[in-house]
Amino acid sequence: MTLSFLAFSGIAVLLLLLLIVLLRDPERHAWLESDRDAAESGHRHVTFFAQIRQALSTEDHEFLAKRGSQRLARRVAKERRKIVLAYLSHLRNEFARLWKLARVIAAMSPEVAAAQEIARFRLGVAFYLRYELIRLKFILRRGPIPELAAVSEVVSTLAIRLETAMSSLGERAALAAEMASTLNRGGLHTR
Amino acid sequence: MNELANSVKWVWAVSVLLQVTLFALLFLRSNFKRLPVLTLYMAMNLGQAASILYLYANRHLSAQTYDLVPWVSEAVTLVFQALAASEAIHLFLRPYRGIWGLTWRTLSFICAVLLAYIVKHTAGNYHWARLEADRGYHLIFACAVIGCFLLMRYYSVAVPTPFKLLLAGFCFYSCTMVLVNTVFQDMLYSKVTGYEPIWQFASVFSFALVQVVWLVALYQPLPADRRRVIPSDSLSQELAPEIDARLRMLDKTLARLWKFEVRS
Repeated sequence: MTLSFLAFSGIAVLLLLLLIVLLRDPERHAWLESDRDAAESGHRHVTFFAQIRQALSTEDHEFLAKRGSQRLARRVAKERRKIVLAYLSHLRNEFARLWKLARVIAAMSPEVAAAQEIARFRLGVAFYLRYELIRLKFILRRGPIPELAAVSEVVSTLAIRLETAMSSLGERAALAAEMASTLNRGGLHTR
Repeated sequence: MNELANSVKWVWAVSVLLQVTLFALLFLRSNFKRLPVLTLYMAMNLGQAASILYLYANRHLSAQTYDLVPWVSEAVTLVFQALAASEAIHLFLRPYRGIWGLTWRTLSFICAVLLAYIVKHTAGNYHWARLEADRGYHLIFACAVIGCFLLMRYYSVAVPTPFKLLLAGFCFYSCTMVLVNTVFQDMLYSKVTGYEPIWQFASVFSFALVQVVWLVALYQPLPADRRRVIPSDSLSQELAPEIDARLRMLDKTLARLWKFEVRS
């Protein structure tokens, strides 16, 4: 068996597998479904940052350890950590929604700049890599809460400004509605 | 030119029958109007089958003719295959002008890179030149179709089922041809006597399978082309930079968070 045989047959099998995966309909992500309700009701997960910060405050932990028991403090800390991780996951979902919105706009635009698209793609990949690393570190030990505040603020501002921009396009309200429904459906349809 | 094995004759007959049915279906469902190049490609396939049948029926032709005709007809058919696939992609991407522009530029780039790689890889291998060219073409073609599907997935463009099946058929055939040619060249040729019927059977059988998929795809008329309202550039000019800037800020914040984590 030569190297050429392995390379060509390997690539062909890989392409066939990719074809099977790509022929399947895109999965409807659970987070998109769950996030839709929040988005429609006008609430964003980032708005709950104050409560999340409170949930991880060291004062609370010290107070519980002092007045209650160490066991109780640990249990509360564990529960709160779960809440923070869920919150972090929702922040990622906000990013994903905006990223997808950017792609939908690009798909509907008469001109698409390749350089801009490549830059946005790289940004998305870098964001997800960083996010996973941070999440992993946060799972292993206590995370840096002040920095989370900055992340939260950016996402929140972005969401608000986008909504303002979208609503200002009054004459294109129908288009905006179509884009929003496309986001929820998980795909653009030509039929 | 050797006599065809019985198994090859049968599968070839089935394949030709399927091609004739498909060709007729293109006219019966009026799909030929929207897919003229695919119709021409099907006609080319039938022409190729007829030319090979003629070669097998006439034993008095020169050896050069036997050698040249199948490969020339194959080359012409492959050119039309690429054009037919491009036609299908263009048809469902017509409402997305920007994405179509990006797609053909990306695919051209992928094809150029792969072509350079394959030429470099096979340079000097004159014994296998035609088979290498055939394999290289199919590899480039399959990669381009997969690249197209990936782009459609990334931009959430739903590909209508008939087009999806057409492209999947093309891609499947090219992938199997890469596999068949590779196995033939590296394993069968030197180790198995009477390798030719195996190679012929595998090639024709995979193409017959593709015909079945295409019959399913073209059994109904193609979906109507729904024109999308393409907004003016101002929409993307207003929103896209805003989104990009915010996405970048978000990423920078995460980067700072990462640095903070590393330090602490």
